[in-house]
Amino acid sequence: MTKETKKPFRQSMAEWRQFIYNPNSGEFLGRTAKSWGLILLFYLVFYGFLAALFTFTMWVMLQTLSSDIPKYRDRISSPGLMISPKPDTALEFYFNKSDSQSYSEYVTTLQNFLESYNDSKQSQNIVCTPGQIFDQSDAAVKKACQFNISQLGQCSGKEDANFGYSKGTPCVLVKMNRIIGLKPEGEPRIECTPKEEGMVNINYFPPNGMMDLMYFPYYGKSLHAHYLQPLVAVQLAISPNGTKEEIAIECKILGSPNLKNQDDRDKFLGRIAFKVLMSE
Amino acid sequence: MKVGCHASSSIHAPRPRQFGDKMSAVCCCAHCDFLSLGMQDDHRLSTSELEKKYGTSIDKGLSSARAAEILARDGPNALTPPKATPEIVKFLKQMIGGFSILLWIGAAFSWISFGIQLAQGVDSAFDNLYLGVVLALVVILTGIFAYYQEAKSTNIMASFSKMIPQQALVLRDAEKKELPADQLVVGDIVEIKGGDRIPADIRLIFTQGCKVDNSSLTGESEPQSRSCDFTHENPLETRNIAFYSTTCVEVCVPAGTATGIVINTGDRTIIGRIASLASGVGNEKTPIAIEIEHFVYLVAGVAISIGVLFFIISVSMRYKILDSIIFLIGIIVANVPEGLLATVTVSLSLTAKRMAKKNCLVKNLEAVETLGSTSIICSDKTGTLTQNRMTVAHLWFDNQIYSADTSEDQTTQSFDQSSPSWAALSKIVTLCNRAEFRPGQENLPIMKRVVVGDASETALLKFSEVILGDVMNIRAQNKKVAEIPFNSTNKFQLSIHETDDPHDKRFLLVMKGAPERILERCSTIMINGKEEPLDSEKAEAFQTAYMELGGMGERVLGFCHLYLPENEFPETFQFDTDSMNFPTSNLCFVGLLSMIDPPRSTVPDAVSKCRSAGIKVIMVTGDHPITAKAIAKSVGIISATSETVEDIAKRLNIPVEQVNRREATAAVVNGMELKEMSAEQLDEILREHAEIVFARTSPQQKLIIVEGCQRQGAVVAVTGDGVNDSPALKKADIGIAMGIAGSDAAKNAADMVLLDDNFASIVTGVEEGRLIFDNLKKTIAYTLTKNIAELCPFLIYIIASIPMPIGTITILFIDLGTDIIPSVALAYEKAESDIMNRRPRNKRRDRLVNEQLAVYSYLQIGIMQSVGAFVTYFTVYAEQGFLPSTLLGVRVDWESNAINDFEDSYGQQWTKYQRTYLQWTGYTAFFVSITIQQVADLIIRKTRRNSIFRQGLFRNKVIWVGIFSQIGIALILTYGLGHVTALNFTPLRFQYWFVAVPFAILIWVYDEIRKLLIRRYPGSWWDKNMYY
Repeated sequence: MTKETKKPFRQSMAEWRQFIYNPNSGEFLGRTAKSWGLILLFYLVFYGFLAALFTFTMWVMLQTLSSDIPKYRDRISSPGLMISPKPDTALEFYFNKSDSQSYSEYVTTLQNFLESYNDSKQSQNIVCTPGQIFDQSDAAVKKACQFNISQLGQCSGKEDANFGYSKGTPCVLVKMNRIIGLKPEGEPRIECTPKEEGMVNINYFPPNGMMDLMYFPYYGKSLHAHYLQPLVAVQLAISPNGTKEEIAIECKILGSPNLKNQDDRDKFLGRIAFKVLMSE
Repeated sequence: MKVGCHASSSIHAPRPRQFGDKMSAVCCCAHCDFLSLGMQDDHRLSTSELEKKYGTSIDKGLSSARAAEILARDGPNALTPPKATPEIVKFLKQMIGGFSILLWIGAAFSWISFGIQLAQGVDSAFDNLYLGVVLALVVILTGIFAYYQEAKSTNIMASFSKMIPQQALVLRDAEKKELPADQLVVGDIVEIKGGDRIPADIRLIFTQGCKVDNSSLTGESEPQSRSCDFTHENPLETRNIAFYSTTCVEVCVPAGTATGIVINTGDRTIIGRIASLASGVGNEKTPIAIEIEHFVYLVAGVAISIGVLFFIISVSMRYKILDSIIFLIGIIVANVPEGLLATVTVSLSLTAKRMAKKNCLVKNLEAVETLGSTSIICSDKTGTLTQNRMTVAHLWFDNQIYSADTSEDQTTQSFDQSSPSWAALSKIVTLCNRAEFRPGQENLPIMKRVVVGDASETALLKFSEVILGDVMNIRAQNKKVAEIPFNSTNKFQLSIHETDDPHDKRFLLVMKGAPERILERCSTIMINGKEEPLDSEKAEAFQTAYMELGGMGERVLGFCHLYLPENEFPETFQFDTDSMNFPTSNLCFVGLLSMIDPPRSTVPDAVSKCRSAGIKVIMVTGDHPITAKAIAKSVGIISATSETVEDIAKRLNIPVEQVNRREATAAVVNGMELKEMSAEQLDEILREHAEIVFARTSPQQKLIIVEGCQRQGAVVAVTGDGVNDSPALKKADIGIAMGIAGSDAAKNAADMVLLDDNFASIVTGVEEGRLIFDNLKKTIAYTLTKNIAELCPFLIYIIASIPMPIGTITILFIDLGTDIIPSVALAYEKAESDIMNRRPRNKRRDRLVNEQLAVYSYLQIGIMQSVGAFVTYFTVYAEQGFLPSTLLGVRVDWESNAINDFEDSYGQQWTKYQRTYLQWTGYTAFFVSITIQQVADLIIRKTRRNSIFRQGLFRNKVIWVGIFSQIGIALILTYGLGHVTALNFTPLRFQYWFVAVPFAILIWVYDEIRKLLIRRYPGSWWDKNMYY
């Protein structure tokens, strides 16, 4: 019995119009201009204060941080592996060795990547003692060790500007993620294994895929500006019966007890898998 | 009518309520027309006419064939159960009600994006599948919870069907047969024994001394006699009809049975009509249901508009459609307080439990709050406002009126008992009384003992027991030698006793009865123990006292005695009550006693509480207006100073018509007047008068009164006990049935059952109801706040392309995990100020969730929480190597599975999984920050106006249970389940728990300032905008 009767459409429209702007009270959306002014002023002050507070606390927080090394490095205790060139599609190389267009992108990427390893760029870098950790924690200025590009042999781009792609022996550079303070133990090396035998022959540069300990540890971007991470080139000599078929290859870091290469969840921790499909 | 009801004719004695009286008083009421119209003229017809009409024979009954025919035509003699909503429909309704639809949409989107991503071969596709499943589970579980709560409230029809008698003794084919009662048809001749339930509406054709208990129909427990005589025009009032579902209490011995013709069966019986009437009265939505609906719309509106807005923004920012849809899911989940509706239900049921302890049994959870918003209570008088027990209230002897104690647990009486007149009067009261205590109750308080005898005699017996002690012993010492019980011609009761004084061999004749009849038989009157001649002056004094006591609505009895002279009546005299060989006139008048069903002692206080709480109390009673008014005055429903139109007329000595009606604050409306009134006139009365008493009304008129009150926009609570109260109980916003006196049907129709039948319990219920409304506000404010802290991450994630600060699953862990117990704990919060000094809330203006509440929670505290949580988030990332500047705009690369050498601010490189794990650490940190700040939010929500320190931090222990549970659950999730990847929690460095603490303190301080300004500047701009 107390049910409200439905208001006619025109009336409810009029009420809406009244709500949006009420000429009698000068109310706009239920508030007068003064009221709107006050409320906006309030929120201006309120949010201004909050913004200032936020900025201030962030500033305080940043003051506690060192610009050289992050406070904690426990989330990256072991490095991941990555390759170059890195195809857009999920790490799958598709190319035709007789079609230069199909691999030009890889070649350019490699050229660009190796640009920073040019001898001219390494003039400030010193020659370090191979085979041992280059600890310079006491030094104020951290030196970078030279990485001679010629160590990459046929994959250095000097002997073959096409990095072997035109010959059916494509090169892939494997690098290990930089982690500040990481000192690998033992003799770390990269080893790649194809999933199926007999389709591909793998050559490593430097030999055995060794990563020299002298490139470790890394001291961070600001202290160690010229640091170059060691590279391992993997040349895949694809046998004639391996063409037109996808070859799955997995590279792992071996020989170092403190570099993990077998994590259930992280497929890139100390290892990397990629596929190559070469046609003629 | 009642044996020994000697005083029923005294001038203002309240008539016992009769069912017929109630029924006949209603004509303007459509429902009751409907009731009486259905009744035929069967009560007028003679037996032979009835036989003819129904084609039956009193000696032989119906033939089986004929009965089968009629049964086929009329259907079985049973009440049709109402079309119940199938359980599955009810269940499905819960599944799509409230926020469920939004969550279903979220789940559907999750599955769609799962399907698409699966087709695209994205690794993380299964995350969306799980999210969809979780959302669906949330909906289903909360749905089951709500369904379970609803299923607990019982169906009104249940008790109607239970009332059907099992077997009936029927005369068919000239044979008596035992048949199932649902096989009865119109025209059947049935026999009823004492104790039977009446199997259908029956016209009695042969009976002797039959009495029926109509309490299942009217709530009146006094048995009513039934005979074969046509005693009233109205079929509902005449004595020769017995109604379906009532009980036959006794039938006098000679015949042992009553015989009658079935005149109505099944749904056409009176009870059937009432049942259909009760189910026909629509159930109004409870105020809290309206409020919750309003709140759901509000939140859903916010969720959808923000969701759509950001969908558009993200699409125009060139996000993929699929991504935009996933954002939309996140926004919906963040916006919807998933646990809130369950929390509200739990809070309401906690209050319901608390009310049950205070004798208010709430059947429908939402009624808890309805009671709090009640603005008018229509209360019965008998048993609710009063003790439902006749008690001696006043005495008149020695030309003076004495007041007696009428409280529930009296042990002594304090009026002056030194006069010898009192000694004489007490002797008459004690001796001239047939009532006796049931044996074996010596240890019980006098007032609690069970008495065999009628109401007045019981009152007198208890009265004298309280004052004189062992009454039975006194009676034994004054041996009764003769007695004339009360009858309606004499209107007195008389007995003759030996005296307890061994030297006094005289007999004592004692008599009580209607005062004017007693006075007629007296020639002297006792003043201070001396007999004085009854002259006109003394008769005048008697009249004045009699009128005064009668005017107080009390039932008055006169008492007189006579010591029979020893010479005329020697010890051996044989008294003969038939020939009356003893004097019954020229007696000595001793005094008057008046009785009333006194108000319960807690009621006046409760009524005045109602008054200060702005609740109008209307008394609705079947009693005589004078009694009703007297009780209304004594409990304060009519205050001492206010006058009715009639009072003003009497004072000014002008005709009633000339009185300015607006001057009268009180009104006593007679049921007969009400019958003549139009709806507008009733509205006017309800509007114009603050204090109203409806007397001589029927339960049907209650419905009219309720509707009238609801037309005023009031939230109406109604009490009732009879079956025919059930339409009013259903119609009222909150129907209150009496737990002791109430019939099952009334209890079923009601939303609440008053276990002790006490009006004062309603008021405590109102208090609880108001408290829960306030506390629900706090709960909702608490819950809504963190929704912003859950929503902001998404918005900033979309706009600034930072790594996701908090995951959808994590949000669900807040909404359905850490936040649940604290929000329930707010239901235990004590009131901030005297909530019974406020007016009832205005249904239209005082919303549960108003603009201020939403704005303050969303735009102020919520934003502060977000800031605090973001500080923690940025701290976690920065300390791991990602400075805030690095994080902006990285979303695409960050989330790319192909990028496994993502560089941080220090030149280190991260694999995707390492980033994801860091992201989960961010989730955990964000979650922990929200939890910590929710502790502050919980504390500030304890009050809306007062300082927390005034409210007391430790008074509500449950809040602390809430806080500890909140932190405990967060600890378990973080450290206990931190290794379960599916939950996206990771163990967190301990210091991150404290990053948000300064912000938590800020929230507390800010809110204290807000409350201070509100208290300091009431009515100011601040008060208007900041008080929720």
